[in-house]
Amino acid sequence: MAELEEEVGVLVQRVVKDINSAFKKNPNIDEIGLIPCPEARYNRSPIVLVENKLGVESWCIKFLLPYVHNKLLLFRQRKQWFDRDALIDITCTLLLLNPDFTTAWNVRKELIQFGALSPEKDLYLGKLALTKFPKSPETWIHRRWVLKRLLQEHCPHSSLAKDQNRDVTTAQSAKYQEILHDELKVCTDAAGRYPSNYNAWSHRIWVLQNMAEEDSKIIYDELCSSKYWVSMHISDHSGFHYRQFLFKSLIRRSNFILDKTVSAPSLPTDHCASLPKEESSSEIQTWSLQGLFDEELDLCNDLIESYPGHEALWCHRRLVFFLWHHWSSDHHSCGTPGKTSLNGTDGSLGLSHTTTMVNKASQVMDVDCLIDPSLQSYSQETKRLKRGPQPDSHKLLAEHRFVSKILSDCGNMDQVRFATSYKKWLDSVIGQL
Amino acid sequence: MGTQIKDVVMKADAPSTLLLDKHADYIAAYGSKKDDYEYTLSEYLRMSGIYWGLTVMDLMGQLSRMSKDEIIEFIKSCQHDCGGISASIGHDPHLLYTLSAVQILSLYDSLSVIDTDKVVEYVKSLQQEDGSFAGDKWGEIDTRFSFCAAATLALLGKLDAINIDKAVEFVLSCMNFDGGFGCRPGSESHAGQIYCCTGFLSITNQLHHVNADLLGWWLCERQLPSGGLNGRPEKLPDVCYSWWVLASLKIIKRIHWIDKNKLRSFILACQDEETGGFADRPGDMVDPFHTLFGIAGLSLLGDEHIKPVNPVFCMPEEVLQRMNVHPEILN
Ligand SMILES: [Zn+2]
Repeated sequence: MAELEEEVGVLVQRVVKDINSAFKKNPNIDEIGLIPCPEARYNRSPIVLVENKLGVESWCIKFLLPYVHNKLLLFRQRKQWFDRDALIDITCTLLLLNPDFTTAWNVRKELIQFGALSPEKDLYLGKLALTKFPKSPETWIHRRWVLKRLLQEHCPHSSLAKDQNRDVTTAQSAKYQEILHDELKVCTDAAGRYPSNYNAWSHRIWVLQNMAEEDSKIIYDELCSSKYWVSMHISDHSGFHYRQFLFKSLIRRSNFILDKTVSAPSLPTDHCASLPKEESSSEIQTWSLQGLFDEELDLCNDLIESYPGHEALWCHRRLVFFLWHHWSSDHHSCGTPGKTSLNGTDGSLGLSHTTTMVNKASQVMDVDCLIDPSLQSYSQETKRLKRGPQPDSHKLLAEHRFVSKILSDCGNMDQVRFATSYKKWLDSVIGQL
Repeated sequence: MGTQIKDVVMKADAPSTLLLDKHADYIAAYGSKKDDYEYTLSEYLRMSGIYWGLTVMDLMGQLSRMSKDEIIEFIKSCQHDCGGISASIGHDPHLLYTLSAVQILSLYDSLSVIDTDKVVEYVKSLQQEDGSFAGDKWGEIDTRFSFCAAATLALLGKLDAINIDKAVEFVLSCMNFDGGFGCRPGSESHAGQIYCCTGFLSITNQLHHVNADLLGWWLCERQLPSGGLNGRPEKLPDVCYSWWVLASLKIIKRIHWIDKNKLRSFILACQDEETGGFADRPGDMVDPFHTLFGIAGLSLLGDEHIKPVNPVFCMPEEVLQRMNVHPEILN
């Protein structure tokens, strides 16, 4: 028994070493994976490096994981001592196998605090872990912690480092852009690896809230590039929610500008993400939120008609119409844009605005809204019409026309169900506001 | 034209009766295979694992089969100097496992074995200026942690230790236009987060802030033709999401808006007739997590062979009665 344990120990130490020398040999490893291989081949290492892919043969995992796991716990209980390099190696192996092992990430946070490990190294490790475990909540949580630290170092102007000096050197700014760009890329990769990846998309929102709040250009670029992405991932509600988030940011922004238009980078309809940065940021055009809303509803039309029976598309339509409805009635009814919602530049990107809009909605809804799905025959259409013309009634009618068209020429059972439900939603939610 | 709906097909020979004895045997045996590779892999959430196992055993009237003394010793050794409790020995403390430990000790009526004053201090120390809660000292913010904080303190009878108004304000800032809630302001609505947020508002007596009709609508739309519920649009049905959606509907008093019989059939079909236990979906591998939420879901649906479950704490109603904890349910 003791002999076997010793043998396992030797094997595992070799594997941990092999993993780390693979990283030294190739600093561009961009993906990790498990190679199905039930039998050990003692004459060679279970660590395989092919181009930029690092593979671990599956037979060794059942030895490797418990061994590094127990080592780390012994360290945490102060029963065994390791030097910093050994700790870095152990946690690296452990996290590539089990990235939700919170305590292992915490050990690395401490190493970063001591200056024994660079934060960039951990963003890289997390990125690799996400290639195999794209949802891993603890990996995303650790990234946010590392990013906050990096931002304090590199970007004194971010909200996470408010109190620091405002003199930003060009180098710092470039570094900031690089971190931001890489982070968005990590989110895109993870979103592509797992559908409706909640953690990836809510992380992306966090990144924009904390790293891009003052940069409208990024919001526009995001709106532009995610348009292509959602069109290719029509079932991914998280992707569509991200666009709703971007719209909310733009609404909040537009409320600062009295004439309802804002100077902004040009927004070509296609492939704008591939435009050279200088070109798109220098070319200032007048841009209107109304135009963006129109485009978004067109996108909904296109996708719903091309891909019948997709709930995510109908959900998106609801929310876009809801946002538009609110935005437009705010503008038409009070004349002073943002009157209802703005309480200062709190830096939370639409947070205060969102809250106000929700509160407003709830107050109205509480009064006389009855949305009981069992009451199919209850129609609020008449009620809505009785209230007289509204500035947006034209658009609301267009929505009803769209639903009627879908219902009249569609044989897809699910599409009919979603269209009917949307109509009911228009009547009871929008009709009541 | 074929259907695009992501759902499972209910097979005619799927289990349709509740196999309580099998489930109790499955849970009783689960903890005994301690050197299993899988067991190592899940050690980072052990405390919650124990809570799942014990709660489901209690709901089935089988709690006495679990080794109480061993578990209590284990929990004691997981409390840290800061007052927080970790998932297992040698792991770092976290609100998630602090709540699980307090729930377990509540089942056993043994809260006094840990230093509860220090637990209260720990929870209190994690509240931020904006009212939100960090999960641990490293500062991650999530509405799940607001729920953990409120639930832990409510079970300890110390809800007044934190700034409730601020805490409520933060949770409400995570409400979306669809009536649901996400993990942080601006994040997508998600059934798990909705459960945490409605649970939090129930514990703090603030359910009137919820737009129950709108939220109820969103929650009902989680039911798929198979009868199972998903957690977000176009996701597959899952026993655990069925619980989170169902419990939220119960809290906001809209449970009658879904087809209960179909949901019951779906949950029953997720049982493994040979090994016992429930899986996320029919035919998948069972685990204690889905076993608890399967049984708890059936309890909410009114199954008389299971003890009534409390929708907010996911613990037997009788335990909360004994502790005099009465979370709000909408009228
Ligand atoms: Zn599940």
